[in-house]
Amino acid sequence: MSDPRGRLRSSTHSLWLTLVAVSGLLLGKTVSGGPQTAAMDSGAPAGGLDEIHRRGELLWGADAEGGAPYVYPDPQKPEQLIGFEFELAEALAARLGVKARMVQNQWDQLIPALERHNFDAILNGLELTAENQQRIAMSEPYFVYAQQIVTRTSTEAITRLEHLKGKAVGVLSSSVAQRLLEKTGGLDLRIYPGNVESFLDLKAGRIEAVLLDLPIALHYARPDPALKFSGEPFAFGYYAIGVRREDAVLLAALNRAIKDLAAEGALERIYRKYGVWDERQQRLKDYRPETVKESRRISTLREWPRYLPLLLRGAVTTVELSVLAMALAVVAGLVLVLMRLYGLTPLRWLAQAYVEVIRGTPLLIQLFLIYYGLSQTGVRLPAFFAAILGLGLNYAASEAENYRAGIQSIPRGQTEAALALGMSRWQAVRRIVLPQALRVVIPPVTNDFIALFKDSSIVSVITMVELTKVYGMLATSTYDYIGLGVMTAGIYFGLSYPASVFAHWLEKRLCHDHG
Amino acid sequence: MITVENLVKAFQSTPVLKGIDHSQQRGEAVVLIGPSGCGKSTFLRCLNQLELPDSGRITIDGVSIEGGRRRRTAEEREQQRQLRLRAGMVFQSFNLFPHLSVIENITTAPMVVKGMAAGDAERLARRLLVKVGLETKADAYPSQLSGGQQQRVAIARALAMEPKVMLFDEPTSALDPELRDEVLRVMRQLVEEGMTMLVVTHEMQFARDVADRVLFVDGGRIAESGSPEQIFSNPQQARTREFLSRALTR
Repeated sequence: MSDPRGRLRSSTHSLWLTLVAVSGLLLGKTVSGGPQTAAMDSGAPAGGLDEIHRRGELLWGADAEGGAPYVYPDPQKPEQLIGFEFELAEALAARLGVKARMVQNQWDQLIPALERHNFDAILNGLELTAENQQRIAMSEPYFVYAQQIVTRTSTEAITRLEHLKGKAVGVLSSSVAQRLLEKTGGLDLRIYPGNVESFLDLKAGRIEAVLLDLPIALHYARPDPALKFSGEPFAFGYYAIGVRREDAVLLAALNRAIKDLAAEGALERIYRKYGVWDERQQRLKDYRPETVKESRRISTLREWPRYLPLLLRGAVTTVELSVLAMALAVVAGLVLVLMRLYGLTPLRWLAQAYVEVIRGTPLLIQLFLIYYGLSQTGVRLPAFFAAILGLGLNYAASEAENYRAGIQSIPRGQTEAALALGMSRWQAVRRIVLPQALRVVIPPVTNDFIALFKDSSIVSVITMVELTKVYGMLATSTYDYIGLGVMTAGIYFGLSYPASVFAHWLEKRLCHDHG
Repeated sequence: MITVENLVKAFQSTPVLKGIDHSQQRGEAVVLIGPSGCGKSTFLRCLNQLELPDSGRITIDGVSIEGGRRRRTAEEREQQRQLRLRAGMVFQSFNLFPHLSVIENITTAPMVVKGMAAGDAERLARRLLVKVGLETKADAYPSQLSGGQQQRVAIARALAMEPKVMLFDEPTSALDPELRDEVLRVMRQLVEEGMTMLVVTHEMQFARDVADRVLFVDGGRIAESGSPEQIFSNPQQARTREFLSRALTR
């Protein structure tokens, strides 16, 4: 399987999804809006071969975001999709006597989206595994994939899976490689949302190797002179088309079509065009389906003693990150506001410019710049520190604004009275203005802390595994979005609610007896 | 004790003080009267540098400051602070520190500014609270006091810095009539003790009873100056007469 998709949205998306799941609404929201050939979330539910014929279109679900060489926008003509799966879908649809229409959907939500009838079939590097077959029906395989180790050109002696032990190794989130290495254990696994990021870190020396599906490696790493394929591909597996269990007629038609295309050499022609054909594809002929019995669906709620500790371990990281980032934000914000209100003119400008720039740019971009951008200039911060720095410096701008509002809410007469008593400007600020401003500032700062606590899930894009990331990883392997979602939301709430109760108490206590 | 020479001050381009000269002896109590917006409050605020005059010279107890719009040097800022240490200020809106108790309101400045020991500062504060009749309110917070009580604490707070002169900026204007007397009584007592005072007020009775000299300020200038007797009974200027006839019948 591959996740050749940039899943930048997935972390925030997952939390949102948790809430959706909890409120009993629709699962696996379709992320629409790709190239124009991709259908928007179609109004009529998709279903069955009859329905496809009536419609005249086969709706197939895939993720074209960072999807090369499977399905992706043509670099020369971005409004047009290309890719070996895109052409395969066209060929299959032609066999069924209909047209093909791609429905854009976030990769790790393809199965839930299929189940809610967003499209007829998944054709997007979905692996033929017992796990997937317990959930949906899968066709005959159409492609044989393998795992490939990629290292820097200068690296020697990493050519086999065993050589990865004890090394920092990058994988794509939710990929076969991730699960493979999780089973292997004994190494420092770094999980990336997209392909480009893992190769950046590999070149920067943050990690020693990347393990990923061969087609992706062929597309992204082969052309790069700084990178090389280390050793032979291993861990073969099959990609197959996924359909809903009840669509047996459609499944049979697709199986026939795949066989015909293989026999005619159409598959080979398409795969050669995209440089992914190899001898291994001969194995498609030898494939014999194994019967997979449908096992009961996992209810993570019923088996909470297995899952809750995993989530709690993620929560520890979330709490550490939030507390340290907030501590940085509170102190840096104070420095900023003092510069801005009482500093010399250049310092004022500097502080104001900082606040404006930070508030006017997305946190995601700031994290990328700190983690990947700085690493290109030689400053290689570990992910944990980069995360604290990114969140802390971002929230510092917002704390500075909170402080400024608090300080400016203190009447001028207070400062005048202090000055008239002979205090210096700094004494007046420190003894008279700041203590009063503190009370005003506590509620917004606490709100920011709770917001930061939840925003911290975004740092999964720089390989941090925190609560939301653990939720996403568990949910995509168990498909129990609701049970895990309830537990995850419960943990977030259980941690943020006491924080807001504490803030309320503190605010009351500080106001006690005073004006 | 106080000398002011040709004080000029404008806000944006609106002139507020158009050249004020004033000189005041040690122990003299001077009351400033005049219509709203005539510049009397601005004059007072210039004296302790809450407003920076555009030109002119202010001298209090030997410390002099030149007006002018420029960045102050460290030396000038120190002069400014010295001037403020010699002039205690009481504001119309009291401006007590709401996060501090009454006693802390009084002790903070002596401790922070003069480095006075906590025990000494507290003894001083309690003595001053007795003087303003609020010895039982030492641990109260400003919000628990009436306006009159707050203003008396503000007077004690200013006195704790042992200023050479006391500046009062409409100290009773924000008070209900029945609360004004307790403040005026304290001020009267200060005059009797020989404090050099400059008071901006609309309390004509107080001016008449207590002032050594009354200044009528109009249009950013001192229009008329004299003993209370002269000003109230025999004003020379038409503007003064006009103002007094309105002020006294109100």
